[in-house]
Amino acid sequence: MKDVVFYDFVRGPLLKFALFVFFAGISYRFFRVVFLGLPADYAKPKGNPYLMAVKKIIIKPTMGWTFNEIFSRRAINFIGGFLFHLGFLGLTFFVPAHALLWKEIIGISLPVMPSLIVDILTYSALGSLIALTLHRALNPVLKLLTGKDEYFANLLVALILFTGLLANKWAGGGLYIWLLSMHMLLADLLILYIPFSRLSHFVYYFLSVGFMGWNAGKRGVSF
Amino acid sequence: MHSLYEIFKRNGYTRRDFLRYVALLVSAVGFPPSFLPNAVKALESKPKPVVIWLEFQDCAGCSESFIRSTSLLPADVLLDYLSLEYHETLMAPSGLQAEEAKREAIERYKGEYILIVEGSVSPKYKGVYCTIGGKSNEEILKEASKHARLIIAVGSCACWGGIPHAEPNPTGAMPISEILKDKKVVHIPGCPPIGDVMVATIVGFVMTGREPALDNLGRPKTFYGQTIHDRCYRRPFYNAGKFASSFEDEGAKKGYCLYKLGCKGPITRNACATVRWNGGLSFPIQSGHPCFGCSEPDFWDRSFLYSPLSVVEGGFGWKKVLAGIAVGSALGLGSAYINKKLRGVK
Repeated sequence: MKDVVFYDFVRGPLLKFALFVFFAGISYRFFRVVFLGLPADYAKPKGNPYLMAVKKIIIKPTMGWTFNEIFSRRAINFIGGFLFHLGFLGLTFFVPAHALLWKEIIGISLPVMPSLIVDILTYSALGSLIALTLHRALNPVLKLLTGKDEYFANLLVALILFTGLLANKWAGGGLYIWLLSMHMLLADLLILYIPFSRLSHFVYYFLSVGFMGWNAGKRGVSF
Repeated sequence: MHSLYEIFKRNGYTRRDFLRYVALLVSAVGFPPSFLPNAVKALESKPKPVVIWLEFQDCAGCSESFIRSTSLLPADVLLDYLSLEYHETLMAPSGLQAEEAKREAIERYKGEYILIVEGSVSPKYKGVYCTIGGKSNEEILKEASKHARLIIAVGSCACWGGIPHAEPNPTGAMPISEILKDKKVVHIPGCPPIGDVMVATIVGFVMTGREPALDNLGRPKTFYGQTIHDRCYRRPFYNAGKFASSFEDEGAKKGYCLYKLGCKGPITRNACATVRWNGGLSFPIQSGHPCFGCSEPDFWDRSFLYSPLSVVEGGFGWKKVLAGIAVGSALGLGSAYINKKLRGVK
């Protein structure tokens, strides 16, 4: 197969299909959960459930912010998790090529980063992802909570970061188009995979944390 | 048949000039400096190459580019050295005399000549769209290729079908390699290709006696082994995230990267950024226009000449996002409803 044919396929029909499935899949799961609702509860709320839901969503990420928690007890989770999310989200939106893609999809012009920042974010995200994966595999408690889904997702994201890094840094000669196509193919797979995996936590996180806050508000307890 | 050295001498050049040009050729073809003595010996002794140049569905732009190749050989030496036995645009004879000259050349230099083909072939309706002297282009190509020592397709039309091959392709244009399936064809694509690349490929063949190392699309690796992006002088602006957003803005005036304006440099393999055009003067990006990837297959039909490389081909947009959300929501609602019914929840 000619590399340009493959390149046109992954950036054209496959990407369009993946994006459609992504938006449809995320909406399907979100609205399914919302429409299923909760069993009827006739008890009068003891607090303000909706206020507590919003409060929980806002302050949850900062709840463990103590020196010991961040730098000692759960250092890998906190520092690795922070660097990974910062890198991955920053790269997803603000790499010049990606920003132009987002402009095409959602119509909003995003600012772009110079290559130096892109490189720093990629190295930190990739390093953090490796550390977090090893931590998952070695920590006795996390090991029990981790399934094939997590390992596959981590591998997929790591490959995307790595091929993206090469696409930005590598003067790979004639093979460059295969590399770029591979980066986009893996990204297409990730877009397809997100709605049906735990990677969809970027939407459902807010739903579940909000529910916990709502529940606490209903019972009139703090969290 | 004169050698290159003899032609240099005849045109009043010194041996020092000859050696300087051979050194240039050796480096252009990508050989190490240690190859220089062999190259000098070959070009002193080997007779000049015989070239038969066929034109089919083309614009003669590749011929124009070829005769303006002046970086590697001086113009007076170039046209003297490459013995163009048949070239419809450049040769003096016409009509039956020209056809006779071609037949004679094929006969006389059997197994020795280099066949260069410019333009796509149109075998549709027995080649009615392109006939010369009553013969279809397919017939002429097969006849001339039979005894050729080396076959070179120059230009995107001969290599990939080019603009005649673009949708809806009324003449059924196709690359010559589809007709000559059992023969090896060296591709020198571009619209047009760089003249110096054509000359270097031919002279490289004379020096070594074998065809150059080719990539998976049959292009010489020396000239098509790297992307324009890798060698672009505007690459530092790409790295710094500085882009021209229109042809008139401040970024364009400052010479920033043309990625946003649709530059195809990152996916285009050619030597424009290094060899450049018109004696090394400039190339499209240097003149302020994005590369549109003319040396890659079907560049014309890929319909993204002026859109950035990373955007979805054909666009996506809000409507499709909303359509996806609508489909997903409807499925979610339906699924939740059925689920509730099955569980008997009111």
